Amino acid sequence: MKSIGQHLFLSCVFLCCLVNPSYAQQGQTDPLNSPMWEDMRRSLLGGAAVVFDDRVQVLAPVDAEDSMNVPVLVDASALGEVSKIVVFAELNPIHKVLELEPLQAKPIIGFRIKVQQATPVRAAALAGDGRWYVGGRIVDAAGGGCTLPSIGSENSDWASRMGEVAGRLWSNQDSTRLRMRVMHPMDTGLVPGIPAFYIDHLEFHDANGEILSRLSLHEPVSENPVLTLDLPRRDSVTVVGADNNGNPVNARFLPGKHEVEK
Amino acid sequence: MMISLHRKRVLLKAVAISGISAAVTFTGTANARTTQAEIDGDAASTQDVLSWGMGQQGQRYSPLKKINTDNVKKLVPAWSFSFGGEKQRGQEAQPVIKDGKMFVTASYSRLYAIDTKTGQELWQYDHRLPDGILPCCDVVNRGAALYDDLVIFGTLDARIIALHQDTGKVVWRAKIDDYKAGYSFTAAPLIVKDMVITGVSGGEFGVIGRVEARDAKTGKLRWIRPSVEGHMGHIWKGDKKMENGITGKTNATWPGDMWKTGGAATWQGGTYDHETDLIFYGTGNPAPWNAHLRPGDNLYSTSTLAIDPDTGKIVWHYQYTPNDGWDYDGVNELVSFNSGSDKLAGHADRNGFFYVLDRTNGKLKNAFPFVNRIDWAKGVDLKTGRPLETGVRPGDPTKSKDGKKGDVVFVAPSFLGAKNWMPMAYSPDTELFYVPANEWGMDLWNEPITYKKGAAYLGAGFTIKPLNDDYIGALRAVNPKTGKIVWEYKNNAPLWGGVMTTAGGLVFTGTPEGYLKAFDAKTGDELWKFQTGSGVVGCPVTWEQDGEQYIAVPSGWGGAVPLWGGDVAKKVKYLNQGGSLWVFKLSDV
Repeated sequence: MKSIGQHLFLSCVFLCCLVNPSYAQQGQTDPLNSPMWEDMRRSLLGGAAVVFDDRVQVLAPVDAEDSMNVPVLVDASALGEVSKIVVFAELNPIHKVLELEPLQAKPIIGFRIKVQQATPVRAAALAGDGRWYVGGRIVDAAGGGCTLPSIGSENSDWASRMGEVAGRLWSNQDSTRLRMRVMHPMDTGLVPGIPAFYIDHLEFHDANGEILSRLSLHEPVSENPVLTLDLPRRDSVTVVGADNNGNPVNARFLPGKHEVEK
Repeated sequence: MMISLHRKRVLLKAVAISGISAAVTFTGTANARTTQAEIDGDAASTQDVLSWGMGQQGQRYSPLKKINTDNVKKLVPAWSFSFGGEKQRGQEAQPVIKDGKMFVTASYSRLYAIDTKTGQELWQYDHRLPDGILPCCDVVNRGAALYDDLVIFGTLDARIIALHQDTGKVVWRAKIDDYKAGYSFTAAPLIVKDMVITGVSGGEFGVIGRVEARDAKTGKLRWIRPSVEGHMGHIWKGDKKMENGITGKTNATWPGDMWKTGGAATWQGGTYDHETDLIFYGTGNPAPWNAHLRPGDNLYSTSTLAIDPDTGKIVWHYQYTPNDGWDYDGVNELVSFNSGSDKLAGHADRNGFFYVLDRTNGKLKNAFPFVNRIDWAKGVDLKTGRPLETGVRPGDPTKSKDGKKGDVVFVAPSFLGAKNWMPMAYSPDTELFYVPANEWGMDLWNEPITYKKGAAYLGAGFTIKPLNDDYIGALRAVNPKTGKIVWEYKNNAPLWGGVMTTAGGLVFTGTPEGYLKAFDAKTGDELWKFQTGSGVVGCPVTWEQDGEQYIAVPSGWGGAVPLWGGDVAKKVKYLNQGGSLWVFKLSDV
């Protein structure tokens, strides 16, 4: 039996974790207290030691209004140099959401995900010092986002617009923000009779063919993915990639234009 | 790299699975490569099955004889594999096997990699099919091709997908055509001179048949040869697309604009003969079915085309049913065989005649019936190579009272054919062909029709009827020299599966009733059968592994018969669907 004193002390520690993340940073215990955290560290980060750090910002709603479209923004730019960002939702049936190699882009990525139930949504950023820095938050959800058919799949016409890209560039002095949407059902494979079918890789090039940034996507990314990237300043950006069936994604964005050249 | 990281993850998964069986036996190298030379030598090699037809000539003959007429009774299952999910029905594939891995396609454009020793799945690829696909004759797939580290197959939405043999990840993918116009792809690709050779399905929708060659490594087009006269062929020099001559001569055998939607779909897999360096590709029915709308021979429908793989040009052709008015197609395989110094080839047509051609020039050497009743022609003139028609054709609807329906005729064979797609086998030991035949006829009439994209383009109505109470199917041993039927095995339901023969003196084929059966190749005596649980409409193969001979066959009733079979329904309506693969070997006891 625990004494009341002990119990109060533990509660206090727990509360402190919530209000003072720096405590968790030093202690290396999971600030979100997730049963899946150790599995994630082993399977997605190769078992490496990590630092929980608020400089890896994960912005997402406390409650998911729509379990099939939870907006998330990951920003690890406060860490300085970042070579890789891995995003995962660990209580989803498929954990890994995406992996960004920023290359010349800022370590920032905006996207939407499906959540199956209340889950931590986390980002791990591999910084210039070779260490993983992890941030995250819990998104509460009514559930079912990964095992429901996509809206597109319920419409027999989904294939006719598949691969269509819309997007726009906004440039300031040193960077160009790209916000784009690709029409794609992004099927998880968890709906009976519908195989996994999702865009699995995208590359962002400039007019000279130089690779600016590279992104791999997984099943939990929402249908018709909407993506935001902060690329180095360029007049035009090309996105090339494909889904896991090999269907290509290919579009060129020009400044100030909504429409996209194929 | 992110992408390679992801790949690694998949690879690790595959390695982990095969690692389980690695304790039992060696399961093959991770970097196995299939060379063109190996594919060319497939018919003679016993350790693998690399091509559709168990050798590109399409003989479906194996020199293996460890399983033979003496011991075939001891054949027992080694393992069985389920294609899973809710997508049962229609398993028409022929597996391919290399270095301890089997690659087998299933209906709905799925492909599985399986450890041949244990039956354990290594990976599976489920193609995401749009809802609007238009497969005329069920959601089947007939098999994959191996080349280098790739396994290549076609899909119902008219794509060709090349997957890495180790991981199942897409390496390249090519679009054949618009599935909304009726194009699809169900055949097994053919690998010739480092190219992947494919056709198109969709003859019931007025598509244009064609044979295409792509670089097997990259999927880049090398040439396209349309199968309907008037259409331009193309060849690629590097990345440059160049005209390569019109097929035939425009309007020579087609009236007006009809050739523009002329069908002649190349929906069955082709064969390749390395001795003459020719690709043999069959072409389907001319579109629409109503032949009154298209007087003339309608080249090159219902033909075998011999195509030069280097130039993409037609070297010779032979047309089985000029001005086809019965949907007899001509798409069935042409199987090369030698008789003394004669380079010959055999073809069992839907129209009921078995043809022996000189495969160097397409000249007719022999033609004879391989079914008991043929109404539309009384024979084939060996001098002219043309059928001697009886005049039993459906009436012209424009000459009927209301102009809507022409006179009905009863004609045998039915449009599902004296033999359909299911490939026959040839044994150089017995010098016999083993033909999966069906005895049925049809009521057939014509109606007016105009072409509309993506809509059935038939202009005909029909009902298929059995000719005998006790059987439709008949596996027949056919002597190509004499035209004699040496033996036959009768089957209640129509035969719809491929045939294989071996040096062990055996002939294997499946039945819709669910049996895989083995027959004595000389006498036709049934020596062994096994109930697989669903109709067998796939193609059996055999190979040798660790000193033992294995036999594999997919099981899963489906295909065109339950969809189009009309009055045949009473013989097939209680056949249950399934989706699995069975592997057999000799019992140890």
